[in-house]
Amino acid sequence: MKNKKKINRKPDTFSLISIIITLLVIVFISSAIISVVAGGVAYLPEALTSRETWFSIKLSLKTATISTTLCVLTAIPVAYALTRTEMPLKKLSEIIIELMMCLPYLVLGLCLLILFSSPFGDFLRDIGFKVVFTVNGIIIAQYFVNLPFAIRMIRTAFMQMDERLEVIAGMLGASKWKQMTTILLPLARNSIISMIILTWSRAIGEFGATLMLVGITRMRTETLPGSIYLSISTGDTKRAMASATIMLVISVAALIISNKLNEPPKYYRIGGEDGK
Amino acid sequence: MRNAIEINNLEIKRGGFELGPINLNVEEGEIFAILGRTGSGKTVLLETLAGFYQDQYDGDIKLFGEDAQEIPPHTRNMGFVYQDSGLFPHMTVEQNIAYGLKMHNVPAAEIEEKIAYITDLLSITKIRKQYPATISGGERQRTALARSLVLNPKILLLDEPFSALDPATRQKMYTEINSIHDNFGCTIVFVTHDFSEAQKLAGRIGIMLHGQLKTVVDADKLFENTYDEDVEMFLRG
Repeated sequence: MKNKKKINRKPDTFSLISIIITLLVIVFISSAIISVVAGGVAYLPEALTSRETWFSIKLSLKTATISTTLCVLTAIPVAYALTRTEMPLKKLSEIIIELMMCLPYLVLGLCLLILFSSPFGDFLRDIGFKVVFTVNGIIIAQYFVNLPFAIRMIRTAFMQMDERLEVIAGMLGASKWKQMTTILLPLARNSIISMIILTWSRAIGEFGATLMLVGITRMRTETLPGSIYLSISTGDTKRAMASATIMLVISVAALIISNKLNEPPKYYRIGGEDGK
Repeated sequence: MRNAIEINNLEIKRGGFELGPINLNVEEGEIFAILGRTGSGKTVLLETLAGFYQDQYDGDIKLFGEDAQEIPPHTRNMGFVYQDSGLFPHMTVEQNIAYGLKMHNVPAAEIEEKIAYITDLLSITKIRKQYPATISGGERQRTALARSLVLNPKILLLDEPFSALDPATRQKMYTEINSIHDNFGCTIVFVTHDFSEAQKLAGRIGIMLHGQLKTVVDADKLFENTYDEDVEMFLRG
């Protein structure tokens, strides 16, 4: 057998510059992360025995899960209406959703604060649903910050689907609801999973709108990002780094789960389920 | 014999494309071919018949004497098979075939019976558990046919169903279409750009060019008649 000749391919100048820039970016991001983790790991055992830290972890997980569920339940029908129906004011609706996505979170939080401080907010308070300065407010803030992203992700996924398959399903007797649940949603499965993980991760890290609508009170409305903010404000850098490390661990876990769930579905693999 | 399909002055616009006006009658139990170049509007005509563009066309379509505007697509009792089969990629062959039966709330035991019969008839029993991505083009077309036929459609619409198949498989499919026609007695309208395919399968052929149904002719007289310049150019190449 002949020895393979090694080909010495020198990268061109542009590729070389791209590689150098990429490496610099990676080094910069990694060093920022490592500096927090290195500082935080030492104080992690102490932080994990603190009631306050556990309160913020539980509150973050709870609010993020509820707001993500609400986002999913809203984003799917909205995306469906925008892509599969001739709804009135469709273009205007799309512009409003896009606009929400471009607003700084502090501004969005301010909008929510004004809305829920209005007679509408008073009405909600009177019927027992307090928003401003409460845990409900955290969920509302996370929901409004994430909803436009969730809608956009699902809308893009629905637009990329072959609409003809739903029409064929309709010809075979499926109602619009059945077309959505048996054809559209299963085929958009990976995009929906990505949307859920991304929305949940963003909700865990939400701070700006929450700060405006709810403020941060220790052991009442203290989420993980709020805990970091409070710790830094009081000069407790070690606790802040420990909380940041916990957030980082949660994000990594979400990323791993997302990648695992986003593997190509079995029906696109040659051999299918049976491996034939 | 009564008409399965009656089309009077049908006109429809899809983007920049205009179809019609089209007038056509297809008799019950007939095999009718729509022959034409790519982009002549053959698929749009089939899709309009199937109800894809309900309320978007002018003129009349009657299916067995009933106004098509009054019949929602899922109650038209029509089967539709696309060139690329249009199978649901996330379902196995048998799940694809069972889909319509499930939507019509057919009991599970009856579904199993019907699947066994149709897969045997179309020689796809061995691939029942496989996904569309893992079977051949011919098997995909047979599965799509089975999915439609299992509902006993009165009208079967086929959109260039054999164009992606190799010549040997195509010949087999011709035989199968004829046997399906004999077994199920359904009216078949199929679209093709292949003259010999149209002549082999159909009793009559309609020639469509530039969104117009130029002429309708008996299949065996396709090359005997004289036509206008457009049709002559199309037929003589």
